[in-house]
Amino acid sequence: MGVSNMTWKSSLLAASLAALGLGAMAGGASAAGPTCSGGAIKVGAVSTITGPADFSEVPKATQAAFDAVNAAGGINGCKIDYTIADDKADPAVAAQAARDLIDNKEAVALVGSASLLDCAVNGATYARKDIRSIQGLGVDAACFSSPNIAPVNVGPFTLTTAVGYYATNVLKAKKLCAFFIIIGGTQEAYKKGIEDWEKISGQKIHLLDLTLPFQGDLTPYVIKARDAGCDTVLTNQVEPQVVQLIKTVDAQKITGINWLFLAPGYTEQVAKALADSPQPIYAGTEWEPYTETDSAANAEWVADMKKANRPLTAFSQGGYLAAQMFLKVVGGIDGEVTRDSVNAALLKMQPISNPLAGSPYVFGEAKTHSPMRATKVMKLDKGKWTVETADWVHLPDTN
Amino acid sequence: MDALLTSAVAGLTAGGTYALLGVCAVFTYRLVSVVNFTGAAIGTAGTFALIALTEAGYPTWPSVLAGILVGAFVGVAIGYVMTRWFAESSASTKAAVTVALLVGLIAVGLRLTGGQHPHVMPELFPGSAFRMAGVEVTFASVLTIGLAVLFTVLSDLFLNRTGVGLHLRALSDRPMAAELLGVKVQLLSLLVWGLTGAFTTFALMIIAPQRSPNFMTLSLLVVPALAAALVGLFRSFWLTLAGGILLGVIEGMASTVDSISQYRSAIPFLVVLAVLLWSQREARWDDAR
Repeated sequence: MGVSNMTWKSSLLAASLAALGLGAMAGGASAAGPTCSGGAIKVGAVSTITGPADFSEVPKATQAAFDAVNAAGGINGCKIDYTIADDKADPAVAAQAARDLIDNKEAVALVGSASLLDCAVNGATYARKDIRSIQGLGVDAACFSSPNIAPVNVGPFTLTTAVGYYATNVLKAKKLCAFFIIIGGTQEAYKKGIEDWEKISGQKIHLLDLTLPFQGDLTPYVIKARDAGCDTVLTNQVEPQVVQLIKTVDAQKITGINWLFLAPGYTEQVAKALADSPQPIYAGTEWEPYTETDSAANAEWVADMKKANRPLTAFSQGGYLAAQMFLKVVGGIDGEVTRDSVNAALLKMQPISNPLAGSPYVFGEAKTHSPMRATKVMKLDKGKWTVETADWVHLPDTN
Repeated sequence: MDALLTSAVAGLTAGGTYALLGVCAVFTYRLVSVVNFTGAAIGTAGTFALIALTEAGYPTWPSVLAGILVGAFVGVAIGYVMTRWFAESSASTKAAVTVALLVGLIAVGLRLTGGQHPHVMPELFPGSAFRMAGVEVTFASVLTIGLAVLFTVLSDLFLNRTGVGLHLRALSDRPMAAELLGVKVQLLSLLVWGLTGAFTTFALMIIAPQRSPNFMTLSLLVVPALAAALVGLFRSFWLTLAGGILLGVIEGMASTVDSISQYRSAIPFLVVLAVLLWSQREARWDDAR
């Protein structure tokens, strides 16, 4: 009796164990997750590191995010093998770097690139070779007009529209004037940014000047803005020119104009250099304001960057965000992670939200990509940037 | 018309800068016969020394002095290269060497000063002197133009009325002959390089707060300055002074006319082209005779 009871019990146990095993196996089959041959998923980035600009913070943050995942065992056991190539802001080097990553390193995707010319030079190559780039920082206009590139940042052109939208809605601007430095083929993109703003706001731009010099005295321009009666001036100047413009405005004793800048103006160096200026100065951000290191939205990014001993900059948010998007997309792949499976996953992906950004990120099948359409506006207050919009400023669709 | 006058006055600030740096370029050329592309970069190096010191918390005026010394030192260093190895080279070779040095200086300068990041530039002469045609003319602008005039007058007197000036001119025209006559060529040359280095540094310290405060843009101020010097055909201080101011005023006026405005930065080149054509015409005329 005792024995038969035991047998019965043990067979039940065996049966239930078997069932459990089967169940586990069945579960495994329905969500196998990503696999990789050779134990690594190869990913690359083409970035400007040496040369006239240094965007290395972007891919280095991507690297830090991948390192964190690798240290925890990788995605489903697959480590990410990440290669950063320096394009030296040289078209020939950029093209060579892309070919090397695609053909020799056999990257499945490009993640966290940030370059002065990667998109313009390599956009067509990416389309031909059928590889997609989750750009960490889209810089030139081509980053927002290529089928195989989708940046995780808003970018200067959409940001122009968004900051203009903030000016009309919140600052109640009636005479918005825009001054742009036009480099390369950005003229049409900036014009489109302003046209979109006109559609959304129902206003006409009061003055549009596309001739702002990269270097040279700005006195004639600030006088022009004043004499045209602008109540708000929006420009795409980068750091040193932002400082120069406001110094010139102060020297001309101009008051009553709001000065709006895009993300490149939002830096601590600018804040420090303009601490004494009485001008109302605003800047739109690409992501959750990076100077708000205590905000909940930044918490994960801050923690990972501190672990990797990387500085907390806006650039590093871009690289980090690109890595997060890639990890999410790859995490949803069943089976081998190859260029084809990553492409398929990017094409059919659902929008992914991340607290660092105001818009969900999506790649999808569109011919051009500019998924990010939200900004937070910062105001300069006695040498410190303060958040002017606690909530994201979402840009409505233009269509 | 009013708008044009306003923008012309607005261009004075730039004009004073071009004139001052242009006069320095002519001074260098006449004394050591080098078309010096590094002029503004030398001054920029000194200016960034000032910025580094004030950012580190040192008081302003001693830092200014230190910056000027750095500028003079960089000037002497470049002068040493030029006199040591290129004293007997042709004018075009010397100019090419200074272009190479300029590229090097900018590359090193950008790295050392943190690239495009702006710095807190101490304003040595803040405030505005007076208002004219709706434009605040700053003390810095007035001072720049004033210094340009002063330097013009002094250079003119120095070169034409003093013994040292005479020696220096001899040195520029025939360095070998001057040396044989007992003129201390190398010492005098280095003195000139050091002096112009110190002077351009002080000039750039005044100009810099109104400019895009990074190493490259400040160094490239040499382009319009050389255009101004060319107006004076690298001989006349007064014509260079006038050329520089005119260049700034034309640039200012151009910014009000939209169709011209986008070609505004080409104005120095147009001026150079026009002057070259004009001077070539003279040369042909002379040859024909």
